[in-house]
Amino acid sequence: MAQKNALVISSADQLLEGRTRRDFLKVIGVGGVLVMLPSALAACSNDTTTGPGPGTGRTLTIDFANGDFAVLQFAYALEQLEADFYTRVVAAFGSSSLSSGEQSVLADIKNHEVIHREFLKAALGSSYGFTITATYPGVNFNSRTSVLATAAAFEDLGVAAYNGAAQYISSTAYLTLAGKIVSVEARHASAIHDLIAPKTSAFAPKTFDDAFSPTKVAGMAQGFIVDKLAFAHAPSTFVQGPNNNG
Amino acid sequence: MDQKTLYDAIDPEVLTRLNTRQDEISKGASINSKLAAALALGSIPVALAALTKDVFAQAPSDVLDVLQFALLLEQLEAEFYDRGVAASGLIDAGDMAIFAQIKTHEDAHVAALQALITGKSATPNPKPTFDFTAHGAVAGFDFSAGQYDTFKALAQALEDTGVRAYKGQAPRVINDKAVLTAALTIHAVEARHASEIRRLRGLKAWITGASRDDLPAFTQGVYDGEDNVMQGTVDVSQLSLTSSNGGTNAATEAFDEPLTKAQVTAIVMPFIAPA
Repeated sequence: MAQKNALVISSADQLLEGRTRRDFLKVIGVGGVLVMLPSALAACSNDTTTGPGPGTGRTLTIDFANGDFAVLQFAYALEQLEADFYTRVVAAFGSSSLSSGEQSVLADIKNHEVIHREFLKAALGSSYGFTITATYPGVNFNSRTSVLATAAAFEDLGVAAYNGAAQYISSTAYLTLAGKIVSVEARHASAIHDLIAPKTSAFAPKTFDDAFSPTKVAGMAQGFIVDKLAFAHAPSTFVQGPNNNG
Repeated sequence: MDQKTLYDAIDPEVLTRLNTRQDEISKGASINSKLAAALALGSIPVALAALTKDVFAQAPSDVLDVLQFALLLEQLEAEFYDRGVAASGLIDAGDMAIFAQIKTHEDAHVAALQALITGKSATPNPKPTFDFTAHGAVAGFDFSAGQYDTFKALAQALEDTGVRAYKGQAPRVINDKAVLTAALTIHAVEARHASEIRRLRGLKAWITGASRDDLPAFTQGVYDGEDNVMQGTVDVSQLSLTSSNGGTNAATEAFDEPLTKAQVTAIVMPFIAPA
């Protein structure tokens, strides 16, 4: 692990922010987030749709002066979003139109994303961790179509995010760790696209996957995050991938 | 600092390469702030230490080696799918869109790598003669014999290998951001291919433990080490939420593992026809 003393992550109030939706879920869940009362779930859904909109919360600043840790923090924010999304997807299985086979795939992906999130949480350590609050405007967790479309968007974005952020990693160890995660995200993306459009070219629509700059990714992810994403000392250069669209 | 001691500690091969590398350094290739500062201070030992770490480990010749290695893997995959898609009675009609797409990608990856190599004033290696029976390990395999199940099994092994191969080479091109980014965008596409073929074969899209599932024993090297749970200093099988989120199986699925060049070579060599 790299030097921890180089890390200054975000505003102090963000670190103290504990009343997030996930904490709420943990509190009301019986034995954790996996066991939920239907009435509690319904309350959560209402809370989400009427809650604060994207980008209206506290500012979460990721400072690229922190080097590799900034990239890890960026990844941590995205993995929190993915893990939260799939946790909600799984929690809504009882009322969703997803087939049992699709539920099996999504349950696996939920496990992977939770483990990614918890890994990054452990790697970053408590003193510079942070918790985002997710929001899902327009997403219907009971709808197969809505869930799969949102999942595909998240996975494609995750792949492009890791591909684009890798150039800012200076440690070969962290670069390898990012590589270990991104190919699993790509496996997810492929599987979800195949659920949506089986046995077509949709599983891998492009010769090269996208590589998006952190700024572009943050702009796209912001629509699902209440906290206002911000960068300090953002890199002034971005080396484009073959698709030249980052 | 005792310079002689320091020199003695450096790999002789590194020292012999120093002169040829000086040109690149003077042109600014692979130079970093630490090296620049060391050179500015006139501190030869410190500068050399920086060189051994940052220039020699990432020398342009290293990048070229990675590109040629990747080209070999893509040539292998491209010929496999070119022949598979062209063969009559091999691929089920309902699956043709999948393999036609993969074939198109692998052909384009070959062309892209050749262009990257040419762009570095080098010559792309010619395609070797491939042997898709893997020196007899896949006894009797013939594209024209309608062995679709075997074709799909080989496709899975090649794709899962490709993912691990690119991952393992990424650190060697960390200082060449254009090559790194291009390689990663191919790496992810290989993972998409692997996912699709595994699902087509009725498997999970992700690798559980070090299991080769129903693939023949000679492919085990493709999966060895995939059961790793130590990510950096973190044992992901022991995270507090892992047990309630799929346990160790999920912890291994959540991370694909790299292979070294030597490990990939051992997997690929059987597919290259004896001279």
